[in-house]
Amino acid sequence: MRKRYAMAVDTARCVGCSACVIACKTENALPSGGFRDWIAEETRGAFPALSMEIRSERCNQCSRPSCVSACPTGASHVADGGVVGVTRAKCTGCKACVASCPYGARYVHPEGFVDKCTFCLHRVREGKLPACVETCPTRALTFGDLADPASRVAELTRSRRVKVLQPGSGNEPNVFFLT
Amino acid sequence: MSGAVEFVKGSARLVVSGGRAYKAWVAALLALVAIGGIAYVHQVRTGLIATNMRDQVSWAFYIGNFTFLVGVAAAAVLLVIPAYVYQWKPIKEVVVLGELLAISALTMCLLFILVDMGRPDRFLHIMPLLGTPNWPRSLLAWDALVLNTYLLLNAALVLYLLFKTYRGEHYDRRIFLPLVLLSIPVSISTHTVTAFLYNGMAARPYWNASILAPRFIASAFCSGPAVMIILFQILRRTNRFPIKDEAIWKIAELMSYAMFLNLFLLGAELFKEYYSATEHLRYTQYFWGGLDGHRALVPYAWLSLTCSVAAFVLFLIPRTRRNYVTLNLGCLLIWAGVYIEKGMGLIIPGFTPDTLGEIYEYTPTATEWAIAAGVFGVGFLVFTALVKIAVPILVGTFRAPERVAAPGPSSAGIPAQ
Repeated sequence: MRKRYAMAVDTARCVGCSACVIACKTENALPSGGFRDWIAEETRGAFPALSMEIRSERCNQCSRPSCVSACPTGASHVADGGVVGVTRAKCTGCKACVASCPYGARYVHPEGFVDKCTFCLHRVREGKLPACVETCPTRALTFGDLADPASRVAELTRSRRVKVLQPGSGNEPNVFFLT
Repeated sequence: MSGAVEFVKGSARLVVSGGRAYKAWVAALLALVAIGGIAYVHQVRTGLIATNMRDQVSWAFYIGNFTFLVGVAAAAVLLVIPAYVYQWKPIKEVVVLGELLAISALTMCLLFILVDMGRPDRFLHIMPLLGTPNWPRSLLAWDALVLNTYLLLNAALVLYLLFKTYRGEHYDRRIFLPLVLLSIPVSISTHTVTAFLYNGMAARPYWNASILAPRFIASAFCSGPAVMIILFQILRRTNRFPIKDEAIWKIAELMSYAMFLNLFLLGAELFKEYYSATEHLRYTQYFWGGLDGHRALVPYAWLSLTCSVAAFVLFLIPRTRRNYVTLNLGCLLIWAGVYIEKGMGLIIPGFTPDTLGEIYEYTPTATEWAIAAGVFGVGFLVFTALVKIAVPILVGTFRAPERVAAPGPSSAGIPAQ
């Protein structure tokens, strides 16, 4: 069975502490101003009838990634478990992928190439969890293989109410938000 | 290819010699190139952070200029069609000058792409054969292919035609005609593929309209010929170049139809956006009326519309079309209108607000202005040099040494018997 790495983000557990952002920045030695994940806060209603949703967001590792289609050199590619990776040596910094991403998941590295979340594939290959998942103090993040029905992420997306971002984009994202 | 060395030497002599006005013009262009070169060295040293492009607006001024110039390149050759249909006498001259304009516009296009890249040293990865282009999926890989094909095609055609004329030989219609006919669909496809590059991005609703490619072609038919009209007038004055008034007026008339089509398509787009008023309206709103107090582009939007409408009226009314003052004013207005519309007006609202809903107001930095000026300097320099070589060949004053003694053709457009 081919692996399909995915993430479930529990919006009820997330408190927006940004520990995932810091962990990612440290683990992947990201440059100043570059982020592979971030916190989105959405407020609905008006005082006193208010509700807020907090989401830890990152690349959705889409099953039909528009960025991989847009890339003119094949630098953007689909790696193990459906993760979208960028081969730095082949990236010309043309930014077509940045324009084609409906999630704003990519940024231009000061060295001129484009960078993005890899689900910490270098850690996953060693049997570890992505840095953001490991660090999350409220256990709002769950990483795993969606193709394995027994995995925690498959279980959560089956049993809980789930939404994805920009479902109309045609990208078939693999980051699921539990509401 | 006997005489090729003489040809190159003679061409070089033509380029370096000229009157006062010519030398001043070339000096001004060289100054622009120098300014652009210095600014580009600065950008290479510091990286793209020297521009005001950020993650929210990741394509901006450079790509806007690129898009506009693809239109100029495409439309220059499209003049071949009316030249054939209306049987203008100097058809060969119109073809050659159109192709020279296309070559210089394409040079600028490729330079604008290069200066926009984060890693320009790796551009070969996109090139056919030399790199690993992502075909057939990536529209940018297609764009690189069609732009380079179009450039090579034009260069080959012009070189063949000019060298033959220089040697006093007749061009072979079996080679010339198929290439000219091929250059027409290729010119349309360059602009269509460029439109599809934006059009295909579902992530950017402002571009994701099926009307985009037709609008590109319509607006290209306005901006490209505007340069040609001005060039024809200069050449008529400085050389024996038999371009009739009627031909120029006809081009202006065709431009007014193209502008009408362009304005109609713009209206169709605005109607759809404002009447249905979905969440996708925000990008259009940002351009035409501003969004949450961000109004950087609004004056340009209305300036562009005003220029375009004014040029349309000037070209539509026969009296103003035939008056060279209002005709040239119209050319400037149409150039300005399309430059804003197909440049910043197309690219920036596509990214504002960005996919996360943030508004980052982009305006070019001094470095971006300087680099863009440098690229235009290179383009006009290429165009000036090419025209300087081509025109004497076409009018018969620059020809192979062995032909100088023999009586040459008296003027362009009349084939030597």
